[in-house]
Amino acid sequence: MKRNKTLSVLKYIFLAVLSAVSIFPFFWMIISATNTAAEVNAGKLTFGAHLAENLSSLFHSDLHFGASVGNSMIIALITTVLALLISSVAGYGFEIFRSKARDRVFNILLLSMMIPFCALMIPLYRMFGAAGKAGLTGIGLNTLFSVIMPSICTAFLIFFFRQNAKSFPKDILEAARIDGLNEPRIFIHMYVPVMKSSYAAAAIVTFMSSWNNYLWPLVALQDPQKRTVPLILSAMGSSYTPDYGMIMAGIVIATLPTGILFFMMQKQFVAGMIGSVK
Amino acid sequence: MKGKRIAAVLLSAAMLVSMAACSGGTANTSSAAANSQAAPSSADNTAKKLTIWAWDDTFNVKAANEAKEIYAKSNPDVTVNVVSMAQNDIVAKMNTAFESGNMDGMPNIVLIEDYRIQNYLKSYPGVLSDLSDITKTDKFMDYKLKIMTENNKVYGVPFDSGVACVFYRSDLIKQAGYKDSDMQSLTWDKFIEIGKAVKAKTGKAMINVDPNDLGIIRMMIQSAGKWYVDADGKADIANNAALKEALAIYKKMQTEGITVTSSGWDAGVAAVNDSKAATAVMGCWYASSIKKAADQSGKWAVAPFPKMSNVSGSVNSSNCGGASWYVIDKVPGKDTAKDFLSKTFASNTDLLDSLCKDISLVSTYKDTASGKNVNTPDAFFNNQPIYKDWNDWTKNIPAVNYGTSTYDIESKMTEAVQSIVKGSSIDDTLKNTQTEVEGILSAAG
Repeated sequence: MKRNKTLSVLKYIFLAVLSAVSIFPFFWMIISATNTAAEVNAGKLTFGAHLAENLSSLFHSDLHFGASVGNSMIIALITTVLALLISSVAGYGFEIFRSKARDRVFNILLLSMMIPFCALMIPLYRMFGAAGKAGLTGIGLNTLFSVIMPSICTAFLIFFFRQNAKSFPKDILEAARIDGLNEPRIFIHMYVPVMKSSYAAAAIVTFMSSWNNYLWPLVALQDPQKRTVPLILSAMGSSYTPDYGMIMAGIVIATLPTGILFFMMQKQFVAGMIGSVK
Repeated sequence: MKGKRIAAVLLSAAMLVSMAACSGGTANTSSAAANSQAAPSSADNTAKKLTIWAWDDTFNVKAANEAKEIYAKSNPDVTVNVVSMAQNDIVAKMNTAFESGNMDGMPNIVLIEDYRIQNYLKSYPGVLSDLSDITKTDKFMDYKLKIMTENNKVYGVPFDSGVACVFYRSDLIKQAGYKDSDMQSLTWDKFIEIGKAVKAKTGKAMINVDPNDLGIIRMMIQSAGKWYVDADGKADIANNAALKEALAIYKKMQTEGITVTSSGWDAGVAAVNDSKAATAVMGCWYASSIKKAADQSGKWAVAPFPKMSNVSGSVNSSNCGGASWYVIDKVPGKDTAKDFLSKTFASNTDLLDSLCKDISLVSTYKDTASGKNVNTPDAFFNNQPIYKDWNDWTKNIPAVNYGTSTYDIESKMTEAVQSIVKGSSIDDTLKNTQTEVEGILSAAG
């Protein structure tokens, strides 16, 4: 009994230290957002009174930070919705419909995960450039479309949905077919409601990667007004004398959406990662 | 059955996509070709709108904006748009656009760091405009012109000087028993001797070193007219006497205990601001960081860069960093872009003199030497006319070929320097590095 108690005390101390380590960067970020650049440089670790000042310089500089939050939000939301739709249909199809070639096709798809994005960047750039030159306005470079398109269907998401579809009870499927439901409706009315937590997990992952996406938007977007949040943060940090107070205020704002989304969907996220149907 | 059908659909879809990609590629090449043919034949290379990219709101972006105001007075019909972006982002965008041949959305005028320009001139010939007619070679400092000249054509308009110097705390040097005159025409031997006295008498370090920044080594070898590559762009590491001596000095400063180590740029600035080091050997642009410690006003002074007494040809002058303006040839409006540069950074001494006051610019345009602000003493530096001094020292900077891959070589050199400081032999380490650098250069083409 006594031994158990010491053990659990030790356990809690260990966990407390670990949480302190992982929370400290966030703490530092919020503290720094309220201090001036000079105070941040000096390593001040208490709240200051310069939050309003930092925010106003953030939104009033020529960086179009406000617009960039809007751009990032539009891109992340549309990407998430389309990616969930396309990848879940594909993952479902791969698992439910059988054929000889199925696994071969799936393996080829998985292989595409091994190609680094840098290798695809220049072909993609030329494709979108050509689309813009061909007069297809709205889908060439420098449009939100060109940022959304390459990330709406990823091998990882299809794989993820296929793995989750494995746990979907086939009996329900058989029953629905016998009752005369057609395939699209089986998907919408039977599969989607059961797989809610998979969707939640996939939504968080997709939203986060889209919100934080850096390289492709950097190359594809050229108008200062069309830039996304990570691009603006990077531009702010590159001066020879960066204003850390303002940058930290920007980073706090950039962290909020993913933070809020995660806390809203935390339960489903964990369940989705473990597997939807137990 | 159904599975087969789906697989067939997927496969054909995949084929369609790859075919579309192919046709997209060819369409682009042909349109790019058409574009490049169209550009020279159309006589009108003017535009009503210019875009400029630069990367520091407090420095070069501000300079571009002041130039924009001046240009607007003589050309009110042209709109100039100055965009501030991270330097690495500009590099990434240029690389993608130049590699793909698609210049959509590229700016007319872009600021490129001197260490990087050779790579663009060598790897993408024809992408940058020939500016020989607006950059007068007798008006700018030679060391700056050399790096942007290829086949006798000048491709840029030089901007800032990174003239190297010793920022030193006059008060600490005096406490150690030396005078301001001892800091003039320094050699590194003398620098270390003074450093030991400073350490003994004041307990402070002489200089801050950052293990990840070889700026000081670069400055030392340029003071002897050498670089990591020779005049032909071939690796010059293992048999580079200046580099060996520079490394020996770098190591000696650490073994003599006159250094303080801070990792990272901001930590280095903090060390200087907190009076942990009596000097900072840096490019002139470091003055703004030193001035952050307002309480040290009047205590600082600036002296010429120390030379290496054991290396023939080493002078009391060197350089660290700096950038220049370039025009991207295939972006519509190159004549307007050239007109902009020729009326501002390539000739306007009033602009360059007011930039000296506003952003502490040390120009590489020779005629700025007589400017009013350039000759104004600086109160923070004990009323020393620092801009005039920097201007004088800039004239003696030895010209070197920076080659195509300074930053890639530097990452290999950083490892080499670490192991030399830990005790490896300089000759053996540099022999290995020579092989690695030859690999980098042959990969870069």
